[in-house]
Amino acid sequence: MTPVSSPSLSMAQCTGLQYEPVAEIGGGAYGTVYKARDIESGKFVALKNVRVQTDQNGLPVSTVREVALLKRLEQFDHPNVVRLMDVCATKRSDQETKVTLVFEHVDQDLKTYLERAPAPGLSPERVKDLMKQLLSGLSFLHSNRVMHRDLKPENILVTSQGQVKLADFGLARIYSCHMALTPVVVTLWYRPPEVLLQSSYATPVDIWSTGCIFAEMFRRKPLFCGESEMDQLGKIFEVLGLPPEEEWPTDVTVSRKNFPLLHARPITDFVPEINEEGAQLLLQMLTFDPLKRVSAVKALEHPYFQDEEPATQTESLNQGVKSAAGGICV
Amino acid sequence: MARTGFCDSKPLLDLHKKADERRVPLRARANACAPTDRRQPAETDESRMAPVKMETESRWERRLSAQTNESIILGFHVDSRASSAETVADECVEKPVLLYPHGLQGLHSLDALVPSLLRHEVEMALEKLDLICDRTFAWDLFLDMMRTQTQNSFPNADLPRHFTDSTRAILVDWMVQVHELLHFQEDTLYLAIHLLNHSLRQLKVTTANLQLLGMVCLLIAAKKEESLLPEVSDLCSLMDHAYTKRQLLRMERRLLCALKFDLSHSPPLHFLLLFAAVARCSAMMVWMARYLLELSLQEAQCVVFLPAQLAGAALCLARHVLQESPTPEGEAAWCLTSSIHVGSQTILLRIMQILATAASRVQTHENSATFIKFSSPERMHVSRHPGLRNPAGLLGVCSSQAPLKGTKLHL
Repeated sequence: MTPVSSPSLSMAQCTGLQYEPVAEIGGGAYGTVYKARDIESGKFVALKNVRVQTDQNGLPVSTVREVALLKRLEQFDHPNVVRLMDVCATKRSDQETKVTLVFEHVDQDLKTYLERAPAPGLSPERVKDLMKQLLSGLSFLHSNRVMHRDLKPENILVTSQGQVKLADFGLARIYSCHMALTPVVVTLWYRPPEVLLQSSYATPVDIWSTGCIFAEMFRRKPLFCGESEMDQLGKIFEVLGLPPEEEWPTDVTVSRKNFPLLHARPITDFVPEINEEGAQLLLQMLTFDPLKRVSAVKALEHPYFQDEEPATQTESLNQGVKSAAGGICV
Repeated sequence: MARTGFCDSKPLLDLHKKADERRVPLRARANACAPTDRRQPAETDESRMAPVKMETESRWERRLSAQTNESIILGFHVDSRASSAETVADECVEKPVLLYPHGLQGLHSLDALVPSLLRHEVEMALEKLDLICDRTFAWDLFLDMMRTQTQNSFPNADLPRHFTDSTRAILVDWMVQVHELLHFQEDTLYLAIHLLNHSLRQLKVTTANLQLLGMVCLLIAAKKEESLLPEVSDLCSLMDHAYTKRQLLRMERRLLCALKFDLSHSPPLHFLLLFAAVARCSAMMVWMARYLLELSLQEAQCVVFLPAQLAGAALCLARHVLQESPTPEGEAAWCLTSSIHVGSQTILLRIMQILATAASRVQTHENSATFIKFSSPERMHVSRHPGLRNPAGLLGVCSSQAPLKGTKLHL
């Protein structure tokens, strides 16, 4: 972390001097992220600045819609989604507007959480709880038609109480106009085949990433560590086998013939600590065909989660709906 | 072009102008700035009207709804069924309900069936209205609409001092005109007015900039709802270049910051279409209710009511205005719709009074954009309906009969 000597003037203007920057916590692929203190409450926040191109018609429609969607998600107050506390837009030039998103600040992400876990790693119960919360947050996002697209241990936050909170979801589209201009290094390790093959994709992308993370919680190191798109696909097929010809997407340029004919190996060779139900669920998440991949809602219904221990942090979506029903009478 | 109307140096302040004069400038400009090719007219509203047509479903189900309605009232509303409930119940009983399946008598309580029947109807209606893509989420969506609508009303109708109710009415009327001219969807209009109501409480805007604020509300609403957007320069010309593009874009940023990008809104129109679909209202009745609902946008005092209350009241008033001859199915469906509790009878009557007064006032002057919009043949000339002429007569009817009023559902 590098201390920030002079807080950016525009940030101060935009947020009405309410936030005092403490440190820069990441250049990030999409813009600068600051840790800052909310002067009123004394709480820490994460300020994410996104620069969006503005033409003569003002803020792009995509930015307006995506940020509005994030604001709308706030109304549901989902326990496994990071809070968006404030948003503002400031002009930088005629061509550029800066959108500042103020999120709650959580000190620890899943990456550090896994690194800090003592020697034998996380207990199977702990992994199950984390997975349940992760999927619960994801099913909430998916039911609101938000996909994450860049799920990885770095943007899964874990509070000191062990509560999982998804961060950086839905930002991909806000950032996209900026991204095209910046050559960014984005990790490929959690990318599903359809993204690596540049085929069309939807919410199942997040399930693939979740599967990779599921395995990583046991392994404490990533499952597939490719160095390029092709290398990443190769690493995936080494474990899961080359998919049959009929499952290969038709709208892609990469041919299936580029890869050796590999057969699937038992997943327990790579994730030995996982139990039988867990392995079954993992394979459902790491299904090559996105249409056959399990959904977040269905994954939560998997026998892996059906056992005696009650959910600790997880508040299921259904409970949320029930409480909404209570509010029907005005 | 004559320098008249909103774009002058004191655009909105000039409230002494005759109503007709106010109408002129936009008419003139409408010709000057015909929509460009890239703005296709929004789809006609025919698709939205479809659901009001009678369902071809089993007679069994209709009977059931007739029968259960009585039990909604009797079951859930024992204490106050005296006058209003009986009226409704009597209407329901007149039908040949005797044929309902015997199997049902074995059930513990018919009450238990009501929520599921209503739920089924609501789900079907939402699907037909194209408000959902997957019926499994329909009921959740409905509950969500009911819940989040509370964030759409305001605790009071207070406006900043320089912004009187009549200034507001003029601004809203102008926004309705612009909205028509740009072929925006109705959702955009409702959202824009909501943003206006909201921003007036968040932002300090001088009287001179009120029109700019109104236009920016429309622009942001369009960015949220429309697939084709107008050029900002066209918007400036609609204001006779009284403001620069730079001013407009600055206002856009100010407004989005003030609202914190919160553009969520449960439009009362969605409730209206939903209720109308469940109640199997005629096309005429839906247009009438839509007209009355749109009139509510002009009324500053309406901002305190919930969207579902406004929709319910508009539908009730439309029913009283049109006095369509009742059919058994229609009455049964109406009873079922009435079981959605949207608010107390007092509130609904209050809204109906406001709307009835507004409709009759507008009909005398014939200058409101909403009036003109709803006098078109495709909207069945509803705004010219003779039944709207006499609010006192209407209100007499209102107070003697039960409006959309039913029971509190325990869901």
